[in-house]
Amino acid sequence: MNYVPGTASLIDDIDKKHLVLLRDGRTLIGYLRSIDQFANLVFHQTVERIHVGKKFGDIPRGIFIVRGENVVLLGEIDMDKPCDTVLQQVSIEEILEEQRLQQQAKQETDKVKMQALKDRGLSIPKADNLDEY
Amino acid sequence: MFRFQSLDEDCTLEEEDEGLVEDEDEIDQFNDDTFGAGAIDDDWQEEHKRLAGLEDKDGLGAELALGGGGMGGESDLGAAQTSTSTHLHSAGHAPLSSLKFSLSSSELPSDVDDRGGGDLAESLARLILEADPAIAGVGAAERPGPSPSSSRSSLSALQGLNRPGVPAQPSSIPHPIQPHQHPQHPQHELPPGPSASGLPPGPPLSSMLSYQQQQHLLRRGTAPMAQMNSHSIWENSMGFGPVSVTPGLVTHMEDSPLMSIIKEVGLPKRPPQSRNDEVRDLSERVPPPRSSSPVIGSPPVRAVPIGTPPKQPMSHALNHQIHHPTAVHVRAPVQHRYPPPFPERVSPNTLLNIANSPLCRGPFPPGVGTVLSQIQHAQLLNSQVAGFPRGGPGPPLLPVGSGFRPFFGGPPPPLGHRMGPPPHGHLNHTPPIRHNTTHLHPQHRRMLTQRMQSRGGDRGRTGGDRRSRDPYSNLMTQKEKEWVTKIQMMQLQSTDPYLDDYYYQNYYEKMEKRQDRESDSSKKEYTTKLITPQVAKVEHTYRPVQFAGSLGKLTVSSVNNPRKMIDAVVTTRTDDEEKREKQVWNKRRQILYTVEKMYSMLLEVQDFEKRFVQAPEEDREALLERHKTNTTQLCNSLREKEWDNRVNDEQCVMIMSVRKGKRLISRLLPFLPSPQAAAVVMAISRNLPALAKKDKQDQVLCWLVEPVSAVIQSLSSSTLTDLLQELQGSEGQLATVLHNKFGVTLLYLILSEGERMQSTDPNCQLMDDNRWTELVFSVTRELLSVPSSSLSPPLFMPPNLLSLFSRYVDRQRLDLLQDKLQITSSS
Repeated sequence: MNYVPGTASLIDDIDKKHLVLLRDGRTLIGYLRSIDQFANLVFHQTVERIHVGKKFGDIPRGIFIVRGENVVLLGEIDMDKPCDTVLQQVSIEEILEEQRLQQQAKQETDKVKMQALKDRGLSIPKADNLDEY
Repeated sequence: MFRFQSLDEDCTLEEEDEGLVEDEDEIDQFNDDTFGAGAIDDDWQEEHKRLAGLEDKDGLGAELALGGGGMGGESDLGAAQTSTSTHLHSAGHAPLSSLKFSLSSSELPSDVDDRGGGDLAESLARLILEADPAIAGVGAAERPGPSPSSSRSSLSALQGLNRPGVPAQPSSIPHPIQPHQHPQHPQHELPPGPSASGLPPGPPLSSMLSYQQQQHLLRRGTAPMAQMNSHSIWENSMGFGPVSVTPGLVTHMEDSPLMSIIKEVGLPKRPPQSRNDEVRDLSERVPPPRSSSPVIGSPPVRAVPIGTPPKQPMSHALNHQIHHPTAVHVRAPVQHRYPPPFPERVSPNTLLNIANSPLCRGPFPPGVGTVLSQIQHAQLLNSQVAGFPRGGPGPPLLPVGSGFRPFFGGPPPPLGHRMGPPPHGHLNHTPPIRHNTTHLHPQHRRMLTQRMQSRGGDRGRTGGDRRSRDPYSNLMTQKEKEWVTKIQMMQLQSTDPYLDDYYYQNYYEKMEKRQDRESDSSKKEYTTKLITPQVAKVEHTYRPVQFAGSLGKLTVSSVNNPRKMIDAVVTTRTDDEEKREKQVWNKRRQILYTVEKMYSMLLEVQDFEKRFVQAPEEDREALLERHKTNTTQLCNSLREKEWDNRVNDEQCVMIMSVRKGKRLISRLLPFLPSPQAAAVVMAISRNLPALAKKDKQDQVLCWLVEPVSAVIQSLSSSTLTDLLQELQGSEGQLATVLHNKFGVTLLYLILSEGERMQSTDPNCQLMDDNRWTELVFSVTRELLSVPSSSLSPPLFMPPNLLSLFSRYVDRQRLDLLQDKLQITSSS
């Protein structure tokens, strides 16, 4: 039942499994239990899913409360659909390791890039993600 | 509050149960057991003495009799450990108690003495005694020897009993009794909860443990029931969440089922520690509701502050009482007489536990159900209710505001029948009104059915099923959802939607038109429309409270209505009036400004002399120059444009209208070149009536006398005549002139000047034309005609007036004039 027809509301999403992407890049999957007027979300049986390449790993997190402003997107997960056909689930340690390697590689490339720019006398100021103004 | 099930053969359980059921509807059990028929009125001290007297006797029969007799009656919670202790003490040789003692003797630890749980030991012993028939069998099984480790501490407690005259015992005896205000039946005291306030904290804990172990010990001997049913019962009573029941209490509760079970079925397995549950339960605590603060002195607050979550009726009350382990009292497992029926939120664990219990309850007779505490009852009922079809968000419904009472009638009889409808409801039919809900508050029931019907099955069946199986669903209650929706609706409020939300409004209109066009008229409207709240464009000014007919206003100030420092009332004038006023003010300001400017120039001119003297040679010329410019400027300021000698009448009058202006003129006159000065004096005399009128307040015209007289004396005869003429001016002017002191003075001055001229200089042209004579004649006429009262005395009387008048008037008139004007001939 739509409480507010013609509008979008999170009321109908309660008690359903959702995937939420946060501003810091984390992906959480859990049952949405409660909301409020700021779209703060309460997740139950939350799992943080880390994706590296074709692999992913789930870290069980329990109960999460997400402040509304940190949500990038939120979507319901259809339980009936088969999931993760392409992706391969690995253990937590493995995925964390993969993530670490990925971060490392990224840092290396960044470093090389910065060096190259510096040699040419150019510099790109580091974008501060938190400071939008 | 529950009654202890006695195991006397005479007393059948069923009987007890039915009676209980009947009574529960009408009486309050707590009250009843405490003060009513259930309470035993004996004096425990008496009992103690009596029984203590038995100590010396070696009477097994006596003990048995006591024990048997005691069992026959009803039991009350509370302990008369005295009897127990003495009981056991003396029963050292009894075959019955030999059971215990054999046990104890086989595993006696050396250290035993002050287990302060002497009371526990007593209760322990009593329990054992009361479980007489069962224990006999059990004890035999037990004899081979239970594990020493488990029973060591328990038996140590027992051993404490064995020792005669153990000081700990009597001292410990009174303690537990103290919390229990009510009289106690000597024989049927149940072990008090070790957490009762009167007890010393340390030892009871260990004795608690020991008691449990003892229980374990007792039960171990049987073939383990291994029945999930009873085990779940233990789960229930020990493990259900919100009630943080201490083990002692639990075991107390277990007593009756234990006994009944032992009697009928055998001993089940030992229940697990309940300690963990307490820790677990803290997570299920509900925060207290936020209150909306009233604002005093403000307009009535119609809505609570936006951030307030919906109020949870009674939930916090229950939770508070539940989460106080220290507050558990043996006689009343829940604190209140009338505890609220359910918590609004029941933890899923609880629900799970409770939900399982009815399934497990099959083998037991319905009477067993009474063992459960009120909370368990409530939770059971709740789970039944919650098990309704959850087509939509159906929170565990509560009888809001309904009393505790209705649920008494509900639980016990249907307990046996609860397996009927499965916990998972079906979506597509209205829920059957179960008999266990017939005891619901009618409003509750209405709400229940209404909600079930309104929330249709627009969710898929699978989803519904899943949700109905999800124990964590509906953590967000209906009220909270509505609250959030309300806030969202509030944000849509608008006094002018076309202004605030133009594009949406247009879009919606277009969509509606399109729908109307496309759909045929026979079709119903499917889509639900969102009706945003309409806010009336009413000015919400706050008017403070005013009583009719009272003087003044109430001084009530608040954040919405701050106190006024100055109760100023705004009076708005019309435009015309404002303009006129403005003009007047502007003019006046201008005059003042001019006056000021001229004054400053005048002062410079006046100071010139001084400065000239003081200045050195070279500067003198410069000074002189400046002086000249100043004087010309001054003159110019009075002058009309391009008229050299004519003075701007208006300007003069304007200046003269101000007091400072008059002063200015008086000081200025000596500096003006004579034609200009004459012109000024002319202007003055011409406008004398006006000036006189204006001067009424200030009365400063007389300052002008001196300079004016100086000017007059310098006048030529023709000018003088003109002046006199001016003074006379139009009709009636002279009268006004005469009325004014200055005017009179001026007149006299003029006349005297004329006289002087005539007398001194025979060739003066004053007489050349008749004007002077005529003027004088008219003056004299006027002087004579004017009443004395209206003739103001002059500042001074020129001396030669008399001669003047004598020249022109006859004797008679002269005399009259003389009288009137009080001219003395000598002056």
